[in-house]
Amino acid sequence: MWKVCRYTLLDLLRNRSAVGYTVLLLLITTGLFMLEADNTKALITLSQVVLAITPLLTLVFTIIWFYGQYEFTVLLAVQPLRRSAITQAQYVAVTGALLLAFWLGVGLPLLAWAPGATSLTLLAAGSLLTTICCALGLWIAVCQRDRAKAVGIGLAVWVLLVLVWDALLLWLMYSFSDRPIEPLIVPLAALNPIDLARMMVMFRIDLAALLGYTGAVYQDFFGSPGGTLAALSALLAWTLLPLWRAVRGFQRKDL
Amino acid sequence: MDRIVFSGLGKRYGRQWVLRGVSTAFAAGEVVMVAGPNGSGKTTWIKCLLGLVHATEGTIAVNGRCVGRDPMYRAGIGYMPQYAEFPRELTVDQLLRMMNDIREAPAGGTDDRLIGELGVDALAHKRIGALSGGMRQKVSAVLAFRYRPEVLVLDEPTAGLDPVSATTLLAAVQRAARAGSTVLITSHIMEEVQRLGDRLAYLQDGRLRFALPPDTIIGATGEPALALALPTFLAQQAEQHVEGL
Amino acid sequence: MRTLLLLLVTPLVLTVEAATHVVRNGASLAAAIARCAENDTVLLKSGTYAEGTITIARPMVLRGEGWPVIDGGGRGEVILVKASNVTISGVEVRGTRVSDMNDNAAIKCSDGTNITLRNNRVIGCFFGIYLSGVEHALVSHNRVIGDAAVQENRRANGIHLWKCSDIRIEHNTVMHHRDGIYLEFVTDSQVANDSSAFNLRYGLHFMFSHRDSYTHNVFHDNGAGVAVMFTREVTMTDNRFLHNKGTSAYGLLLKEINDAVIERNTFVDNTVGLLVDGCNRALVKDNTYTGNGWGVKLYANSSATFKGNTFGGNTFDLATNGDLLLSTLNGNSWDRYRGYDLDHDGLGDVPHRPLSVFGLVTERMPYAMVLSRSLMVNLLDQAERVVPTMTPAGLEDTAPLMRPPEKANLTVMRVLGCEGENGQARTEAGAVRRPCYASTSTVFTVHTRTLFRLYLFVNCIAFFTCALSNG
Repeated sequence: MWKVCRYTLLDLLRNRSAVGYTVLLLLITTGLFMLEADNTKALITLSQVVLAITPLLTLVFTIIWFYGQYEFTVLLAVQPLRRSAITQAQYVAVTGALLLAFWLGVGLPLLAWAPGATSLTLLAAGSLLTTICCALGLWIAVCQRDRAKAVGIGLAVWVLLVLVWDALLLWLMYSFSDRPIEPLIVPLAALNPIDLARMMVMFRIDLAALLGYTGAVYQDFFGSPGGTLAALSALLAWTLLPLWRAVRGFQRKDL
Repeated sequence: MDRIVFSGLGKRYGRQWVLRGVSTAFAAGEVVMVAGPNGSGKTTWIKCLLGLVHATEGTIAVNGRCVGRDPMYRAGIGYMPQYAEFPRELTVDQLLRMMNDIREAPAGGTDDRLIGELGVDALAHKRIGALSGGMRQKVSAVLAFRYRPEVLVLDEPTAGLDPVSATTLLAAVQRAARAGSTVLITSHIMEEVQRLGDRLAYLQDGRLRFALPPDTIIGATGEPALALALPTFLAQQAEQHVEGL
Repeated sequence: MRTLLLLLVTPLVLTVEAATHVVRNGASLAAAIARCAENDTVLLKSGTYAEGTITIARPMVLRGEGWPVIDGGGRGEVILVKASNVTISGVEVRGTRVSDMNDNAAIKCSDGTNITLRNNRVIGCFFGIYLSGVEHALVSHNRVIGDAAVQENRRANGIHLWKCSDIRIEHNTVMHHRDGIYLEFVTDSQVANDSSAFNLRYGLHFMFSHRDSYTHNVFHDNGAGVAVMFTREVTMTDNRFLHNKGTSAYGLLLKEINDAVIERNTFVDNTVGLLVDGCNRALVKDNTYTGNGWGVKLYANSSATFKGNTFGGNTFDLATNGDLLLSTLNGNSWDRYRGYDLDHDGLGDVPHRPLSVFGLVTERMPYAMVLSRSLMVNLLDQAERVVPTMTPAGLEDTAPLMRPPEKANLTVMRVLGCEGENGQARTEAGAVRRPCYASTSTVFTVHTRTLFRLYLFVNCIAFFTCALSNG
């Protein structure tokens, strides 16, 4: 598995789209910091951009890459290798490459301009989203024969996570505003990895506002070992479940 | 002992059986040409053997080992797909090294003769993304033969190659067969089939119609060449089938 | 006539030539004070003087040298001043008794005039400096430091004034008390250049204290910030309200204040920067609000004029609780403003609507805050800004500034030096690091070509930044 992973990663590091992704992130980050004099504000905008486009680009990249790699994957499947090892190797390689791109593109400028706890949280959140969205993308790609359809599903998943989920939450709050729904909201939001990542970062940036009102709710959830455990297991589930489905899907797939 | 044994092999996609009731066996050193109309199930059959497609029913045994979960039987298989794609950003050299990492070298060391014969050594430091289709086929051929496989599966091997390279490749096939490999080749070129094939396995509508030596077919019809003999032979078979009813 | 004049002058001459009583370690301070004639000086040398409550009943000067410690031993008040024309300086006071019945203080002055308390230390006391019914006093350069480990019900106010007038409270530092500086019925007074921090309740708290001014003070990390209530004609200028965070914490809470002038103050990193509740004719001018949860909460029962204020990096710039029409916004600078200035007069040509619909949502359902800065919420706010449906249409800045006034930036720059408890610099949200114009000029000197490319690139990502940055 590590051999396949190594060479796939070697290939990915020279991949033009991956390099383009790095450059895009680098441009966004440095551009924001250069144009915005106030680093805190730049950080806020940056985290919003990063938390929105990282999942999108990661999903689309993984899906398109899988189809581009398809014939070679077939060739690998003919070698004396376990199918599961191939999927795992591909996952590790593509995640590794995108993580590297993320750290280079966002991490370096962040550490240069705004080193601190908020930046580190943003990096951690972005890395988590990258790992999760690679797994999701791989799952979608493995289970779909048609590339266009897979990209479409990827976009739909992104919209679901980034917009629909929050809209549903808001609707839920409105329709049950007379019931004690409060303790449910944070865990429900934390189920969505993009929301969770956003909360992780915003908890640092918007501390002033959050402490005022939901501070207690947040603290109860994230501050308690149970909440942290729940959040971590949610993230782990978001990574492992799609990955497991992708591995199983590839094992059963007729290539 | 037979190297490959198919028994009652069948594959269904949805409700459609693309392969059904295929039972036959191929010996070591045998060159089997697989032919049939488009959509007759050739590719599916080969992919079942390679483990790319999971059979719905029946079994395949390679060297007495059942094709299934254990991937190690594929250590004895060399495969050259119709269109080969490799990671575009690796060099040819890196690709060959990668395959060496993945596969164990056979008893007699790797068979690197084709590298020189097909001129792949000149491409060693080129990016695969910069290679033409024919050049990639050559690399693919090298990989298929390199590990002295017991079973060699070639899918339309000469389709993308220039005439000289095609001849080189076919010579390599004969060399491999003499060394004891069982070779399966899908081909539409009856001339090739007649020249190389110890047997012709003919598929139609997912069923194996026959697996006979080309000479037998020619002899049964009295035609001078396999290309002419095959339609006649198929017609005869159909008649016999009707009579048999 | 001349004799009469001489008779009048004689007591004055006597005053000037008052005696000085030196008290050294081991001697009794109380005895020395008892020996004093009017207007004498007691010079207290370094040492510890634990003699229970020291009472000063006639005009005199108590001056410490080498920080003598006056320890009340936990028996009640430590220094009790019951006279006018008293000066106390250079002493360290400890050991008040914590009591639910009496307001025991380190230095308590009652019903005198002409009191000066300068350059003293009050360490770990219940009440610190306590003035009751005093007129014309100066409280300056004192350090009143409470015990950080003690519970709220065992703490009292650092500097406490009740029914006083014409008092100057300057250059004092108050920490770890209940309220830092507390004024009730204190009129015509000035509070200037003080620092009040880490107090459990309010950094500054005043009620019914008319015609007072508060300038150049720093209030930071207090449990509930600063609260001022039921007062008229207050002037608050050049103060800094920093890092006051909590469920009901405000940088500055104005409640039932009439005719206040709030000018050139800085509000950084508070849960609510400025809360205006039931205030009439408040002039809020040239203040800076950065990194607060809410920059300003302006209740509908108030009438205020906001002019020349700078808002940047707040989660919400402005929130209100009704269809308010009594207040006006004019010529403020909003970092969320996306308008244009075609006639180059420095004012935006389209009005700015600072209320966000998400702000309204969280007002009703605080727990909706979990959606803060999500893409969905940003789109919602964006849409609301284009087509207002939920926010009151009347509240808008008709002439927003295109860029922050320069002095606003400088004010914020000074915040940089804001020290934490142990002098550690604050680097988290709120501290604005570089003023706008500095970085812009640097960019311009780099490379015109690079800048052009950057400009092209910015155009490319305009969609993203516009959609995302407005929340």
